Amino acid sequence: MSAGATRDLLDRTDRLMSPEGVPIRFEVAGLGARFGAQLADIVLSSLAAIALVVALTFSGLSSPQTLVAVTAMVFLFIRIPYYVLSELAWNGQTIGKRFMQIKVVSNDGGALTTHALVVRNLMKEAEIFLPGTLVLTLSTQTPVLSLIALAWVIGVLLVPILNKRSRRLGDLIAGTYVVHLPKPILLADLAQAPPPEPDGTQTFVFLTHHLDHYGIYELQTLEQILRARDRALSGAAAERRAATDAQIVEKIRRKIDFADAVPPEDHERFLRAFYNAQRAHLEQRQLFGDQRTDKYHKFHKQAGPAD
Amino acid sequence: MEEADLIRSARFRAEREGDWRRLEALVTQAETRGLHRMEFATARDLAALYRQATTSLAIAREISLDRALLDYLEALTARAYLSVYAPQERIGGVFHRFFTRSGPQAMRRSWPFLLIGFLCMGLGGLTGYLLYFENASWFYVFMPPELSGGRDPAASTDYLRSVIYDQNPASSGLSAFAAYLFSHNTRIAIFIFGLGAFLCAPAILLTFYNGLIVGVFLALHVDRGLGLDLVGWLSIHGVTELSAICIACAGGVQLGAAVLFPGDLRRAEALRLAGRDAVKLAIIAAIMLVAAALLEGFARQLVQSLEARLALGWGVGALWLLWVLVAGRRAQ
Repeated sequence: MSAGATRDLLDRTDRLMSPEGVPIRFEVAGLGARFGAQLADIVLSSLAAIALVVALTFSGLSSPQTLVAVTAMVFLFIRIPYYVLSELAWNGQTIGKRFMQIKVVSNDGGALTTHALVVRNLMKEAEIFLPGTLVLTLSTQTPVLSLIALAWVIGVLLVPILNKRSRRLGDLIAGTYVVHLPKPILLADLAQAPPPEPDGTQTFVFLTHHLDHYGIYELQTLEQILRARDRALSGAAAERRAATDAQIVEKIRRKIDFADAVPPEDHERFLRAFYNAQRAHLEQRQLFGDQRTDKYHKFHKQAGPAD
Repeated sequence: MEEADLIRSARFRAEREGDWRRLEALVTQAETRGLHRMEFATARDLAALYRQATTSLAIAREISLDRALLDYLEALTARAYLSVYAPQERIGGVFHRFFTRSGPQAMRRSWPFLLIGFLCMGLGGLTGYLLYFENASWFYVFMPPELSGGRDPAASTDYLRSVIYDQNPASSGLSAFAAYLFSHNTRIAIFIFGLGAFLCAPAILLTFYNGLIVGVFLALHVDRGLGLDLVGWLSIHGVTELSAICIACAGGVQLGAAVLFPGDLRRAEALRLAGRDAVKLAIIAAIMLVAAALLEGFARQLVQSLEARLALGWGVGALWLLWVLVAGRRAQ
């Protein structure tokens, strides 16, 4: 397997084309999260059903026969109708999915249709509940039946593992998949943050030949490092960070041929100033059609247009 | 820092951040309270701000290298997209549309598959019937003992008659049998439908087998001279129930046929298209099973005369047929 294929398998993000024509990025929900949601749903709905039946029994209002009928109806309801109605009412979420912060979306980018929700939950009966019951009731007396059940369980479990968006059979038929609900958190803009108080008189000025070395990857790595600084550290941790800063500054200075030495108290100011200058430069290059993904951009260009 | 000093992408962000924050608040409101409970002006703002945010996202992807900003906008537009494009239909509206239009239309569209479903059941019944008269021990082969409830070739004719015309159901445990049969047949229908997607064969076989059970059961009673009485006993709910199983089979076969013979489409696509009608058949089958359970639970013990049983059973069947044939036709 090539490195690219491995990255594709590990990459859980997926783009969904919205009706506005802007692709929207979602992170596909893993099997663990979905299994957790399913388990939570089963436990909660069974508990609710049992509670209802017990309440009816103790209320003494109904005869044993109607109780049997009501029990049958309630346990039927918590299989398919509960999932369909809750996903319809909560836009693709059941109670379990709300716990796990996952959601069903339609892969054509439109709204979820009633039909799609019914289909994916109807198939669940054949996919999850049936093999689940079979596995629980497997016995050694009927080896053929056990083998068929086992093959079925394996086959059904392989479907979401083998396809790219972890879709089970019901998802494939309904044209849906399950994503993590993204959390919008807006961090402060580093380029906007007020620079630390200038200790000395030195201001850092970067020229074009300083800024031609790095690409987007290095810029965003630097962004991460600078964002991590917002947490206050003390003692040994602060010393370690100072040492790391010194190394980074030294590395950048050597790479970009920055002649002036940078005193230790100016390290942070240097990094922030370099981040701003580098980002402005790269953004400008990008506007002119020269996107520099990483520090090897010059080699990419020589090798011809990247694929 | 003065605004003019900022780099281009930071200015871009500073100009729009207020709108994004407002959109974030509206999305939270829509998610917790529901879009249809929001005021008109607020809902309109949500849609407008969402469209602005998608534009911002498209621009930011081109001009900004600020990872934090890109991640935020991606998450915000995704969240707003889910709110704006949430299904707007009320659950009541969904039911109304299904019963008055889409349900019967789907049934009419898939008549060849319904034919297959009823044929499977009918042939199964015929085979079971003929096999019983060849050798009565076939009964034990086909009939699961827990389903027959002691009504097998070894039982006396008087016992068989007593079960059919049971005046005192509370003492016989028949209601428990009814409840069991209800869940048994519901599960059978679900199996048949689900199995259809795994190629047609299992669904057809299971329907055929169900027909066999009915066939041998009928043959047993015909053998004892109770044929018409059993037909009356069965038809009160059986017309609805067995039709439901045939309809579930038709839905399953429709899915299986799409996998086996996708035509010019890719298999997944064909399966998706076939699913549109097949699922409606499955829902109709489920509704009919619930109706059959109600008939079985209440009407069978109340109605004891043979003629009334036949009339009720086939009358309800005729109503189903009428619904399928008439409802949801558009005025020409």
